[in-house]
Amino acid sequence: MNAPSASAMVQLQGVTKRYGEFEALHSIDLSIAKGEFVTLLGPSGSGKSTLLNLIAGMIAPSSGRIIIDGRDATTLPTNRRGLGMVFQNYALMPHMTVFENIAFPLQVRGLPKDEIRRKVTGVLDLIQLGHVAGRKPRELSGGQQQRVSLARCIVYNPALILMDEPLGALDKKLREQMQLEIKRLHAELGITMLYVTHDQDEALTMSDRIVLMNGGRIEQQGQPDTLYFKPETVFSAEFIGSSNLIPGEIAAGEGGTVTLKTALGAFPVPAPDRPVRPGDRGVLLVRPENMMLTDRADPTSVAGRIEDSILLGGVVRHFVRCADGSMVIVQELNQPGRAGARRDETVRAGWTMDHARLLPPPPNTSLPAG
Amino acid sequence: MTSSSTASGASGLGPWSAIVLLAPLTVLMFAILLYPLGLTLWTSLYDGQLSLRAYAELASSTLFLKVLRNTFEIAITGTLVSLVFGYPVAMHLAAQPPRRRTACLVMVMLPFWTSILVKSFALVAVFGNQGLVNQLLGFLSGGQINLPMMFNRVGVVLGMINFLLPFMILSILGSLLALDRRLILAAETMGAGPLRIFWKVILPLSMPGVVAGVLINVTLSIGMYITPALLGGRQDMMVANLVDFYTRQTLDWTAASATAVALLAISGLLVAMLGRVRGGLSGGAA
Ligand SMILES: Nc1ncnc2c1ncn2[C@@H]1O[C@H](COP(=O)(O)OP(=O)(O)O)[C@@H](O)[C@H]1O
Ligand SMILES: [Mg+2]
Repeated sequence: MNAPSASAMVQLQGVTKRYGEFEALHSIDLSIAKGEFVTLLGPSGSGKSTLLNLIAGMIAPSSGRIIIDGRDATTLPTNRRGLGMVFQNYALMPHMTVFENIAFPLQVRGLPKDEIRRKVTGVLDLIQLGHVAGRKPRELSGGQQQRVSLARCIVYNPALILMDEPLGALDKKLREQMQLEIKRLHAELGITMLYVTHDQDEALTMSDRIVLMNGGRIEQQGQPDTLYFKPETVFSAEFIGSSNLIPGEIAAGEGGTVTLKTALGAFPVPAPDRPVRPGDRGVLLVRPENMMLTDRADPTSVAGRIEDSILLGGVVRHFVRCADGSMVIVQELNQPGRAGARRDETVRAGWTMDHARLLPPPPNTSLPAG
Repeated sequence: MTSSSTASGASGLGPWSAIVLLAPLTVLMFAILLYPLGLTLWTSLYDGQLSLRAYAELASSTLFLKVLRNTFEIAITGTLVSLVFGYPVAMHLAAQPPRRRTACLVMVMLPFWTSILVKSFALVAVFGNQGLVNQLLGFLSGGQINLPMMFNRVGVVLGMINFLLPFMILSILGSLLALDRRLILAAETMGAGPLRIFWKVILPLSMPGVVAGVLINVTLSIGMYITPALLGGRQDMMVANLVDFYTRQTLDWTAASATAVALLAISGLLVAMLGRVRGGLSGGAA
């Protein structure tokens, strides 16, 4: 068993959570550094909330150790873990005013009255909500309520703040504004934050590090850039950003390049870090924005017919139907005077070899033969 | 389909549905409730001629005022005892998984399915001078202790809470079940211990249920008749017993009617207050 690390705010060691026969989390190992902003990203049911609630102490692990700030907290009750939590539905006390809500954790800590007043006023200014101090939560908008619940957390300066889809109930515009506000608070206060979301954009915007969850396991973790540009699995590639995936079989490899034989032709790909052998199955990944429409028939391109083109403001997406019936998406920048959509035109969708990635085949799914 | 067309369409009777559906009960209520009530009111006011004399006498009658004070004392004591015993039970029920809670609720409702007479005699058998409790106390103390718990104030309250508790428990339970569990989790993460969470979160948020339960209990106990008659002493006469006394002992129907009307007015006032409590009888909190 690893020794607790001094620079880690939270360490999970082999944490498993079972509900009867069902294993919601499979032996999770995770370490969060002090001051880090880590996001748990994953589809609904992947175990994000379970992991968060384990750290908060609201549920107990079936096995494994939870170390918070160097102390074994596996069996410590919630109210003695000294952390903060922001809930999706805000969980503000409906019978207390905004001021009383924020003062509550300070009263718990037995602070003198005038110090409570000073601190509450301070955070209310920080979130620019001083003018609603006397109101009840239900008299505030959703965004204001969430800011109050954030203030209620930061006012007692916990070493770690947990947030479970805190912006899920807000509309898109407000959500983006709050993302920046939370990021700003994190930068200013230096509090370690563990943030749960199923929204990839939110994760990419806010995090120092993203932990991608899939079926109770950590699929991949790393900086947002790494997850986006260097996904290690088909799941990661599909969950973050959109992707063109072409399955096939490795034909040959020499030097830094391997060739993947697919239904659409044989394509050279940079050799992945893991060892591969001819005959292995693999999946070619090219992001739509790394694809372009071309008429040159070079080896890193596929032929097809434009089935549809849609305008998404700054970018245009072309849906190219290939000979074998599969679809390739090409995303180009939109510019004034751009030639209009060339529907039904026969084109080639090409990419530069460096932008392609060879991924291992997804488990438990039989890909069509190459 | 709009909701209004669904509502009137369900009966298939069109615009006449309200009259057709409500007429039978209206007729019955008129016959067995409104007519006798009107008669009582009339009797209280008409004594050869129309006058408020009966009410004036009531207001100056030391017997009536003493009985009225008794009534409130007993009602409030019973209600408070019921609150103190009922709240923890409601909290326990709220913490149970739904299936188990349903099973426990059956036990809470059990007193309703027993005749009040049977219950009263059972209480005497348990709490009377020769009852189980006193026999046990006597045995343990070597005949030193015998607590008079029947045919006095204690007896009335014991008999009443039997009847009052389910209303108190259900009313508070409604508020507790409506309480968002995440509020308690939030308080816990902020470091609050169980006592603080109870006083600062659970109790304030269950107040609508408490107030509703208290008002229902007071309303119900103010009209108690059999329990004080069977389990109380001579000092424990309540207003309903006074009505009985006037009608059967002194045959003063005017005084009896005026007393009954006064009791009805007090109960009506309490019910009106109950209607104003947010969440009221439905027990929904916050
Ligand atoms: N109390 C519970 N009892 C049984 N299964 C549960 C319980 N809580 C969560 N689960 C299951 O655990 C899995 C992970 O849930 P959760 O952590 O809430 O997912 P997420 O937050 O990623 O959407 C889900 O399949 C869910 O159904
Ligand atoms: Mg969740």
